[in-house]
Amino acid sequence: MTGGYDECCAADLAAVAEGRDLSRESRAWLARVVAGAVRPNRDKPLWDLAHALAALARLTGARDGRDLVTLALDPWLARADRLEARFAGTGDAVDAHGPSLPDGETGWRTTWAGLARLLALAEFVLTAEELAQFAAVTGWLDDLAAAPDAEGAAALSRRLARHLAAYRHAHLPLAPLERRFRAILRFLDGRRAFTDDDILGFWRGQMREGERPGFRTIAEHFVTFEAASALLGGLAELAAPASLDAVEGWDERLDASLADLAAAEPAETLAALLAALPDGPKILTGAERDDLAEFLRLEPFHRTRPLTTLRAASFGRVQSGLANRLRRGGGGAGITERTACAEAETYPALAERIAALTAHLDRMLRIAAALRVPAEAEGLPPEARTALAAALVDIRRVRRAGFDDPDRLAAGFAAADAALLRLAEEAGRLARAVAGLARQRPLDAAFATDRDVFANAFAEAYAAEATA
Amino acid sequence: MSDEARLLAEIHAARTLMRASEPGRTDSRLGTAALWAYATRAVDGPVDLAVVRAIRADPATARRYRTMLAGQAIAHAPLAAAASDGAVASRRVGPFTLEILPADEEAPPLLVLRGSATRPPRAIEAMLGDETARLALPSAIDGAILIALDPAVPEAARLGAMLRDRACAVFLL
Repeated sequence: MTGGYDECCAADLAAVAEGRDLSRESRAWLARVVAGAVRPNRDKPLWDLAHALAALARLTGARDGRDLVTLALDPWLARADRLEARFAGTGDAVDAHGPSLPDGETGWRTTWAGLARLLALAEFVLTAEELAQFAAVTGWLDDLAAAPDAEGAAALSRRLARHLAAYRHAHLPLAPLERRFRAILRFLDGRRAFTDDDILGFWRGQMREGERPGFRTIAEHFVTFEAASALLGGLAELAAPASLDAVEGWDERLDASLADLAAAEPAETLAALLAALPDGPKILTGAERDDLAEFLRLEPFHRTRPLTTLRAASFGRVQSGLANRLRRGGGGAGITERTACAEAETYPALAERIAALTAHLDRMLRIAAALRVPAEAEGLPPEARTALAAALVDIRRVRRAGFDDPDRLAAGFAAADAALLRLAEEAGRLARAVAGLARQRPLDAAFATDRDVFANAFAEAYAAEATA
Repeated sequence: MSDEARLLAEIHAARTLMRASEPGRTDSRLGTAALWAYATRAVDGPVDLAVVRAIRADPATARRYRTMLAGQAIAHAPLAAAASDGAVASRRVGPFTLEILPADEEAPPLLVLRGSATRPPRAIEAMLGDETARLALPSAIDGAILIALDPAVPEAARLGAMLRDRACAVFLL
């Protein structure tokens, strides 16, 4: 997926995630806070952070900002259970569930797990941009340590909100994304459901308007739109103030939906995992990994929209080639030749490649099973026994690094079989989706039609460069 | 909701950011916590040699370390960009003046620190090239903090030599 962040932002987030060994869910929460995908108020986490730090300042008797920085950066305190062990019952700024702070009638409170996430956010604001704001934030924490109350927390939260807004402005180019989503909303004209041809139609419109976005990039936007559309529908219903009171706990539910959207693990990343097993058997080659990443990058479209998946794989690659050719200013086939899509991989050829990948992953899965379950294990039906024995024999026929060393092989598969299972499943679902598509419409005919459409769009959009 | 497009953009950015921050995609570099522990160490406390090596070997780590020192320092004078133009006997570090009185036959050179801030500095750290030296500071007497740069104490002698160089960065902690 592309767009919406710069390298600095990705590195800042990865450094905090790695240093604190954050769970996938916590990393997703942090990514959402940084990107601002928090509702109803995207500054709420900073409000919570400021109050949490005030509570910690009280509990620890922090003398200055330095003491609070030490708490925020301590990887030992990255976990809820350790925070609880350290702070539960240590003072008045803590209740049965976690830290708290007197504030108005109800007071402010969070859980130990909430505190752990907030401290990750504290590390992020302290260390982002190679510590560029470290001294400034430490100075704000000095002020908080001097007055660790609701007022001091509110003042800090305002500073942090400005700080994060400036960070977003510098490192998260959201405006182009917002423009494109607004265009999609306009294009769909109130519809939440869309078809493969809607995606293609929207992309063609954008090409005509001169923006020339990649087909894959547009498809990625539709992935997000589809994933979020149920949530958006819910939001629209809740927009009327009366219904806000009517639906209790809606902000928690909204937060949970947003969390699911960010945290779902893409199968695409598993391909990289299997290709990069240190010292393990070469379950996937680099080329196989790239193929799988290509086919799965639009998850869940590989299951639900095989046509868009094939279009992205075939013509998306042609368009990347065009863009690269223009960036380099030469090399390989000329512009006119490329816009004609003569090199585009046909859908039947892609389907064959998908079938081969699926067969390979299934074979690896059988080997994984044979390494786990001894064929002589009790209670196995005879056919399973035969299959396992056959898979063991099959290992010797695999001509790949690491398959000739039984110890490495067993250890490698043991480390990888969960990822392998998921990947084989996803590849299988793609293969079935493509087969289903082929039953409705022959793939070669579909390809021929699409090639005309894409070739036209490319020829029109890249006409100036083609004749230059 | 009127900000649908904005929320979609933010969700999209969060999702792409998740992919870009998968573990193992970044260079493993020295953790912030280790660097901070070193920056806030007690003068006579244990030293993490891996951190010392990283600060020496990697300019980016040295930069992060200096930023951390500056972030917690009461006063600091940054690394001078220009090359040294010889020995200095006195220099300013924020609201403080730092002076080195030469040795005589009876006493070693003396570092004199005058000035005041919200709290008195507890330690001084000098950084020159990839060298660092840190010394605890005693309480002030009559507004001046005095430390003997005893040649028999290696850290003190090193600090004295570094402070005489104009290119040396100074942090009062």
